[in-house]
Amino acid sequence: MDTITTKLSKEEIFNLMKKFITEVIGEEFVEEMDITPESSFTKDLEMDSIEIVSFSEKIKAHFGDQIDFTGWLSSMDLDQLINLNLGMIISYIEECQS
Amino acid sequence: MPILNINHQSVHIQELNQNAPETIVLVHGMFSNLSVYYFSIAPMLATHFHVVLYDLKSHGMSGKTLSGYDLKSMTDDLKGLMDALKLKQVYLGGYSFGGLIALKMAIRFPNLIKKLAVIEAPDPSDEKARGIIEEYSREFLEHYVENFTDTTKVKMGKRQMEKNHRMYEYLFHQTSIKEDMILEKDFFKEEAITKIEQEVLLLYGLSSNCLETGKNLNQKIKNSSIQIVDGDHNIPIQEPQLIGEALLNFFQRK
Repeated sequence: MDTITTKLSKEEIFNLMKKFITEVIGEEFVEEMDITPESSFTKDLEMDSIEIVSFSEKIKAHFGDQIDFTGWLSSMDLDQLINLNLGMIISYIEECQS
Repeated sequence: MPILNINHQSVHIQELNQNAPETIVLVHGMFSNLSVYYFSIAPMLATHFHVVLYDLKSHGMSGKTLSGYDLKSMTDDLKGLMDALKLKQVYLGGYSFGGLIALKMAIRFPNLIKKLAVIEAPDPSDEKARGIIEEYSREFLEHYVENFTDTTKVKMGKRQMEKNHRMYEYLFHQTSIKEDMILEKDFFKEEAITKIEQEVLLLYGLSSNCLETGKNLNQKIKNSSIQIVDGDHNIPIQEPQLIGEALLNFFQRK
């Protein structure tokens, strides 16, 4: 487990998230997409729930106990989950680091 | 991603609160995966229990396999998972087809199961449920996804549609799932169902087309109770909070 200790900038978190998304859905799909902080997980990135499980696992493996990503997601209702975008995740991770 | 090798197959599992003394295992339904529990129901149960989720063969992130979709094989897989995790006795919950696996497990391995929760298990003799397989087509998939899919209520985009299409094509046209399901059509008529000794909670949706099946099971299983909640066959997605609470109360009650 490569748990990190240094604080990441917004841009570093964004790039890390992009890397995780690429690993989950595959490079061939990511190439066709313009991933931005506004990209929504379900509508723009077309991630289904098992892919979000996989993505959550990557966050857990990277940040360890520092970030309870699954706990944060589980506090949302279905509509909030559907509207979840990358920017919201970046802000959440930033908050957890501070 | 935690992957175990069970009965020569790769099985994707997720565990929550591993240090709790008692364990709940949850089984998902057909064409679904463990994410049906992962985001809401499992974290609720994990406040008191060790929770184990796994993807059935050819589902979610588990390995693909051409045969062995009958209830005996599916319960062999679950027994193998329990052995691999060194679980001696568990509380067991199953949704839809997973509910049938849970019932079969209680019949075959009564000593391993403390209590049983069955959510929306369908009657395998229901021709309509089996007919779905015969009528399968891309149009059917689009209709199915819009109306019955239990993993998300988001309309699918191209990549998801193709991913799901591939999964249905594989399961329906390459594996033995059709034949294996037909072989199980008399499962609810078997005497063994009436001999289940464990306490059983039946959870069904008020407007589900499986509700009658739930009531029949309630008649057949002597130590069972039925709880009917608002919603249809998709109650774990529609009412995760309610289902999580019902399961937690049931499994906690001594």
